[in-house]
Amino acid sequence: MLASQIFAYAVIGLGSGALIAGVGLGVVLSYRGSGVINLAAGAIAMLAGYCYWALATGDLGVTFPMGWAITLTLLFSAAVGIVFELGVVRPLRRQAPLAKLVATLGILLSAQAAIVLAFGQTAKPQPSILPAGNVTISGVIVPDYDLWMAGIVVVVTLLVAAAYRWTRFGLGTRAAAENEAFATLFGLSPNRYSLGNTVLMALVMGLVGMLAASIAEVDPSTLVLMIVPGLAAAMFGRLTGFTTTIVAGVVIGMAESVLLYLSTQSWFPTSNGGPLPGVDELLVLLVLVAATFFRAGKIPPRGDIVEPRLPRAPRPVAPLRTAAIFVPLAAVAMWALPFGFREGLITSCIFAISLLSLVVVTGYLGQLSLVQLGLAGVAGFMVSHLFTNFGIGFPWAAILGVLGATLLGVGFGFPALRVRGVQLAVVTLAATVALETFWFSNGSWGASVTGAPVPAPSLFGFSFGTNASFHGLGGGEPSPLFGWFCLIVLVVVALLVANLRRSGLGQQMLAVRANERAAAATGVNVRNVKLTGFAIAASIAGVSGVLLSYSYGSITASSFSTLIAVGLVAFVYITGITSVPGGIFGGIIYIGGLFAYALLDWFGLQGNWLNLAVGFLVVFSLISRPEGGATFLFYGKRRHRWPRGTKSPSQDALTGREAQSGGAGRPGKSLQPVEVTP
Amino acid sequence: MTPVLQARGVSVAFGAVLALDDVELEVGEGKLVGLIGPNGAGKTTFVDAITGFVQASGTVHLEGRDISSLPPHRRARLGLARTWQTIELFDDLSVRENLAVAARRPSLGSSCAEIVFGRQPRAERLAEEALALLDLEDVAEEMPSDLPQGRRKLVGVARALVERPSLLLLDEPAAGLDTRESEDFGQRLRRLVDGGLPMLLIDHDMGLVLGICDEIYVLDFGRVIARGTPEEVRNDPRVLTAYLGTSAAAEIERGTDVAVASPGRRAPERDGARLTAPEAGDR
Repeated sequence: MLASQIFAYAVIGLGSGALIAGVGLGVVLSYRGSGVINLAAGAIAMLAGYCYWALATGDLGVTFPMGWAITLTLLFSAAVGIVFELGVVRPLRRQAPLAKLVATLGILLSAQAAIVLAFGQTAKPQPSILPAGNVTISGVIVPDYDLWMAGIVVVVTLLVAAAYRWTRFGLGTRAAAENEAFATLFGLSPNRYSLGNTVLMALVMGLVGMLAASIAEVDPSTLVLMIVPGLAAAMFGRLTGFTTTIVAGVVIGMAESVLLYLSTQSWFPTSNGGPLPGVDELLVLLVLVAATFFRAGKIPPRGDIVEPRLPRAPRPVAPLRTAAIFVPLAAVAMWALPFGFREGLITSCIFAISLLSLVVVTGYLGQLSLVQLGLAGVAGFMVSHLFTNFGIGFPWAAILGVLGATLLGVGFGFPALRVRGVQLAVVTLAATVALETFWFSNGSWGASVTGAPVPAPSLFGFSFGTNASFHGLGGGEPSPLFGWFCLIVLVVVALLVANLRRSGLGQQMLAVRANERAAAATGVNVRNVKLTGFAIAASIAGVSGVLLSYSYGSITASSFSTLIAVGLVAFVYITGITSVPGGIFGGIIYIGGLFAYALLDWFGLQGNWLNLAVGFLVVFSLISRPEGGATFLFYGKRRHRWPRGTKSPSQDALTGREAQSGGAGRPGKSLQPVEVTP
Repeated sequence: MTPVLQARGVSVAFGAVLALDDVELEVGEGKLVGLIGPNGAGKTTFVDAITGFVQASGTVHLEGRDISSLPPHRRARLGLARTWQTIELFDDLSVRENLAVAARRPSLGSSCAEIVFGRQPRAERLAEEALALLDLEDVAEEMPSDLPQGRRKLVGVARALVERPSLLLLDEPAAGLDTRESEDFGQRLRRLVDGGLPMLLIDHDMGLVLGICDEIYVLDFGRVIARGTPEEVRNDPRVLTAYLGTSAAAEIERGTDVAVASPGRRAPERDGARLTAPEAGDR
């Protein structure tokens, strides 16, 4: 009966497949309307889901009948769409695609934080808007709503596709996407079409949010993260095709449902007594990688009027001098601050290291990788398991952990040779989800909910872990010894990253970031530079993961969750993703860090208030200070300066090169015979 | 003597369109070779084919070495430098850093030393020379996007020069320069060639090309339709036809006053192609 059972489960999967397809449809609408890869689509569906719940269950004091609740929720969704368009999409029209994507990440965080603050973390059971019957397929009870949902999403998609094909609105949208300048010349307003598509996207998301209630409760993360399979579906549709997207989405949902059935079979691999977790997410990652490799190459580019760039990456002027000012301050603070603040400062140091890895890979190399925190987790979990399984402690476990993260990071770098920018961000987002669920949540390789133990670091019998005793402070955690350890590591990493920007390799990275073709034409090996950049960034991420595991004393999957990974990227965009100060200040303001603790201690503001603010801050800073607040503070509007104390151009530079090239005497190898004419 | 660049049977097809059809071209030691042709003739495609940016059939030899199957960066390292019609500077790096990227090939060891010990890369003498040569010293610390078009072109040329090329391919380096600047620029190119650096110059500015080149190839619809000294090319009826169309060319040939050969008068313009005569003493 296996085959018919598989069929029955595939039919059950129609429901969740329809949701994935719906989110994919939202992504496509956003991309066609404005070129934004909208990672907040799932979050908008979640907002609508909560809105419907609040209206239908009387949480707001009035209980609306279903028809009214649905209508009001759709109106609410349209309003969210208008706000999203006017507050995010339109102000950022002239920004780089990467910046737009980060802005949607910020909105995702804000929406999620708003819901948690308003309704709490617990899931809300919803009244279903769909009929509650069942059909039985080969002994498996299949709820009617799965079929209804698939039907509704298919009908909606057909309507949208028809509108795109046969109405003036669809034609105008397509024209504006093709060539914005021409569309404007012909009297079309790209802004209006963008608004129309965003509202349409929000309405579809509203529908998805309400339908989701029919198969599950509404909670603050499920719908938000449905963006990952939704993106996979949309990528299959090349971000533009409605029907391909829908089919891919439904198939993903059905495959997940079949996987769920297979996991109940005796032959299915198990872990800690349960079926292997995270297989779904791994499947989505593989689908996404396949879509990126075989389909994404043909994603139609947008004919925007201006070609936007990443913010400038200023050359550090005197990193040692800057360090000499700030490091003693931080060192004293590490000892003098009360425990909670010290904890915050230590967390800031560690997250700052994570963010410096983003500075390298995104700021210098121009590749937005959302997997850096996942790589940190790889190193952290390796430290834990090297100890529990093999008895390896500090420093070897730490070194091996960093090495493991580096290798995996280079592995993720390979897709970056094929795809770039925004698509890489999407693939690495899926990779983060897959790492979290497949590796970190796996009881044998990762940690159960209670966490995997991590031994305190010590060298030659001298412990400097988070519980190391320190004269005058007893054994209160966290120990300033551990704080200084983290500070030293941060300073070393920060100086290396600053030096990297000034080095020849750093210049090559920026050359690759600016123009890969021209870089190759000047003899830069683009492939090697990219892989080197990924390796450096991954090893830095690994270092932060090792420190993070030491700081908690035990390690859980939730420390490396996708939402934290997303939050880190959004925060560092506010402070500056292209410079060392940007990375460090990002660590200071990030949740759990010094600034967040100060907010909590002085004003009683939870971390979620920061997350709520981050969406607005990202959009605001992208518009007013694209290079980021800290970068601006440290480098201002100064131009690049040839650093003082460097050798002036000298005779031996040329002769040295001549001998090296073996081309001495070749007149063409030097500019020498030419007189300099004014 | 083996030519510096020898392209044999180079063909490029974009789908059904044959952009280059069996092009043969040579650049000899110490020569400045011009490549002209109307818009769409395939000039830039030829440069892309030589430098490895488009898939091409045929063979390309640089200083006797077959480079046909090498990726672009390897060709560049063997001494094939180019500039771009669309300039293509590194907009995130200052002018001086643009040159530094081209001038230096940091080894793993030197990169580590720079990153670990914070050593600064040396200011390259060649880069400084190139800046001086093209009068770019005053903007060395500017970002390329802050410069006017003409000077950005010069930065592109300077960046190619500091690669210590054995051959320099210039794709419309003088577009955006006014007549005086263009003359001045031509003289600088000529001096570089006389100093021993062979070049392939693509430009629409006939005054520039006819005035300073040793030999000229004319490309039309992907084929070489003429090859010779500036004098020969200037009087070649096929070239006139390619540039001006059949009727105009016939008219010019009939008339006593041949526009392209007589100083002081401008031939009709076609798509920005200027068929002005070189001024005496350009060389």
